[in-house]
Amino acid sequence: MEGEVSESERSALSLFFEPQSVAVVGSLREGYFGGYVVIKTLLNAGFEGRIYPVNPSYQEVLGLKAYPSIKEIPEKIDLVLIMINRRFVPNVLRECAGKGIKAVIVVADGFAERDEEGAKLQNEIVEIARKAGIRIIGPNTAGIVNSANGLTPDPYEPGYKKVKSGTVAICAQTGMINPQAFPYADLHYGVSKICDFGNKCDVDECDLLEYLENDPATKVITMYLESIRDGRRFLEISKRVAAQKPVLILKSGRTKEGAKVSASHTGALAVDDQIFNAACKQAGIIRLEKFRELFELPKIFSLQPLPKGNRLGMVTFTGGVGVLAIDEGAKYGLSVARLSPEITKKLNAIFPDLGKSVVDIGPPMAVNNYMTIYSEILKTVLEDGTIDCLFNVIWTSPFEDFVKEYVKFYKEMQGYDQKTIATWIYGPSIPLINALSSRMEDLGFPVFSDLEIAIKALGIAYQYSNRKKGEE
Amino acid sequence: MGKLSIFDQIKKEGGSIFTEFESKRILKQAGILVGETKLAKTSKEAVSLSQKMGFPVVLKIVSPDVVHKSDSGGVKLSINSAAEVKKAYDEILKKVRKQFPDAVVHGVSVQKMLQPATEVIVGTSKDPQFGPVIMFGLGGIFVELLKDISFRVIPVEQRDAQEMIQEIKGYPLLQGYRGKEPASIPALVEIILKISKLIEENPQIKELELNPILAYRNKAIAVDARIILE
Repeated sequence: MEGEVSESERSALSLFFEPQSVAVVGSLREGYFGGYVVIKTLLNAGFEGRIYPVNPSYQEVLGLKAYPSIKEIPEKIDLVLIMINRRFVPNVLRECAGKGIKAVIVVADGFAERDEEGAKLQNEIVEIARKAGIRIIGPNTAGIVNSANGLTPDPYEPGYKKVKSGTVAICAQTGMINPQAFPYADLHYGVSKICDFGNKCDVDECDLLEYLENDPATKVITMYLESIRDGRRFLEISKRVAAQKPVLILKSGRTKEGAKVSASHTGALAVDDQIFNAACKQAGIIRLEKFRELFELPKIFSLQPLPKGNRLGMVTFTGGVGVLAIDEGAKYGLSVARLSPEITKKLNAIFPDLGKSVVDIGPPMAVNNYMTIYSEILKTVLEDGTIDCLFNVIWTSPFEDFVKEYVKFYKEMQGYDQKTIATWIYGPSIPLINALSSRMEDLGFPVFSDLEIAIKALGIAYQYSNRKKGEE
Repeated sequence: MGKLSIFDQIKKEGGSIFTEFESKRILKQAGILVGETKLAKTSKEAVSLSQKMGFPVVLKIVSPDVVHKSDSGGVKLSINSAAEVKKAYDEILKKVRKQFPDAVVHGVSVQKMLQPATEVIVGTSKDPQFGPVIMFGLGGIFVELLKDISFRVIPVEQRDAQEMIQEIKGYPLLQGYRGKEPASIPALVEIILKISKLIEENPQIKELELNPILAYRNKAIAVDARIILE
C-alpha cells in the first residue's frame, strides 16, 4: 500500500521537474514580473519542452500562440503555472482537473499566509487537487528550477539566462533562493534543482527529499525550512536519504519569537527546536546555523571527495591563522595532523623549519620564484599519508600575474590527490580575490568566504563520512 | 496480549496515573532493574517488611492522586528501626490526608535504602509533530535548574542512546569525577533502549519518568518511577 503511494508521488514530482509541456496562466504584459517573464526565462534558458501561454486577451506572446483557457490547449499538458488573483485560482485548478493535469505550481499569493479568507481558499484548492489527484507546489512560491533541461519558469526577471548546472539541490520555504534573488549564473559550483515550497499546502520537504534521493543529477541537498509537516515521516525519509547523499538543513523559528512570525508568514505549526535538533542527529542531517552556509557549505560535498579521517593538515600564511583553524577544527572533531618524519624532512629541505603541523609559507615567500616553491610545498604536504583533509590558505598578492600562476598550478592539481581541500583566499584586492576564487571553483577547488566556514566545511565533511563509515 | 494485560488490569483499578508501585511492576516486566518495593497497608505490615529487607529503609506514599510525593511530605528516608518505621508511617498518612483529603491511598511503599550514586533521569513524552520522544539528564538541579538534558525521537538505536548520554554537559560526572565512582554507561544505554521499546509497544503511555535512577559502576537501578496513560 505505502509503496504504491510513494511510487505515484515520485512520478508526480518528475512531472514538475521534467515536463514535456508547460502551460503558463497569468498576465502576459511585458514587465519585470508575471507570465510574460516566466515565458521569457524559459525561452532564454533553452527549455526543451513545449510552452503554452494562457490568457484570453492575447493571441500571441514572444512568438508563441496564446490560448484563452487551459481546456482550449489541444495537447497534453504536464505542468501548469498559475499566477493570477487568488480568487480565480480554484476555477483554473478545476479546469486543470478536467484536462487530467497532475502537476500545478501556484505562484499566486494571498493564501494561508495572508488572512482567513486566504486560508479558506487554500483549503479549497487542496480539496480540488486531492480529488483530482493533482499535486501542488505553493501557493505563494517563486517556483522551481531544473538546470539540466532549462526549466527555469521564473516569475521575476533574473537578468541572466542560465542557472549554472551542477550537483547541488537547493530547496527552501522562501523566495530568497530563486534565480532572481541569487546569482546562480555566477556561482562556480552548479545547481541541479531548485524548489521554493511556498506555503507548502501539498508538496513538502519529504516529497522533495524522496524525489532528490532518486535524482542522479543531485549529489548533495541543502534546505531552508520554517516548519516540518510530518515529523515522523520527515525523520524516516531524511534518515534514508542522508545515508546516500549529504542533507544540509537550515531551520528557522529557533526562538519563540521567530516561531511566532514563521507561523503567520507561512501558516505553519511551530516545531520544538530541541526535538528537531534531536531528529536531525538521528537522521544524520547536517544542521546549518547561518543563511550563508546554505549556499557555501554544499560546495565541499559537490566538488571534493569525502575525507577518510579527521586529521587536518594546514598550509597557511602566519602561524596565527593556523592556531585559529585548529581551535575551529576542534569543534567538529578535527585534530591536527602530525606530519610524517619523511615529509617533515622534505619540507625542511625546501626551507628551514618549514616541516611543522602548520606549514607556514610566509617565510619562504620572500625567496625568489615564489610559485615554484609554493607548488613544491603544497604537493609535498598533500603527499603525506598522515593528512586526511587540508585547510589551504592562498594569498593573491596585489598583482594579476599571481592569479594566472595559481590557476596554472591548480589546473595541474586537478585529480592530484584524493584529500579533501577547503581553500580560503585573502589579499589586498577584492577583484583579484574574486577572480581567483571563481577560477579555482571552476577547477573543482571550493573557496570559502572566511576561515571559519572553510574549517566548518571540512568538519561537516569529516562528520558525514565518519557516520557513513559507521553505517557500513 | 501478555504485556497489555498489566495495563488493563491497573487501569481497571485506578485512573490513568500509575503509582510508583504499579509503574515499577511494568518496568520490571520490561527488563529494567527497579529498587525492590513492597506495599504496606498498615504500619504493622510496614514494620515486618522493613525487618525482612533490612535497615535502613525508605517509606513513600502510594496514591495515584499524589504526584509530587516529597513536596507533600509523602517520603521518609534513612529509617533505621522498627519504631522509626511506625512513626514514619503514621506521619506520612497524616500529612497526605491533611493536604489531599480526597486522595485515594493504596498504602505506603517500603523499599531498602540504596547506596548513594550519581542520579540520572530518563523520561518520555509526546511531541505534537514527532510523536513519542525520550529524554535523558542528570538528576536534581541539573535537570530542574540547568536544563542539561538531551532528547531523541522514539524508537532510538544503540548509537542514539550512546550519543544522548555523551551529549549532556554533565557527562564528565558520569565518567567519575574527583574520585567519585564512574557510572556504567552500557547500563544506562540499556535502560534508554528498553524504555524506547516499551513506549513503542505501548502507545497508550503518554508520559513516563524514571527519577531518579541510581547509576552505579556495574548497574543502574530505578528507585522511583511514574507512568501516565493517555
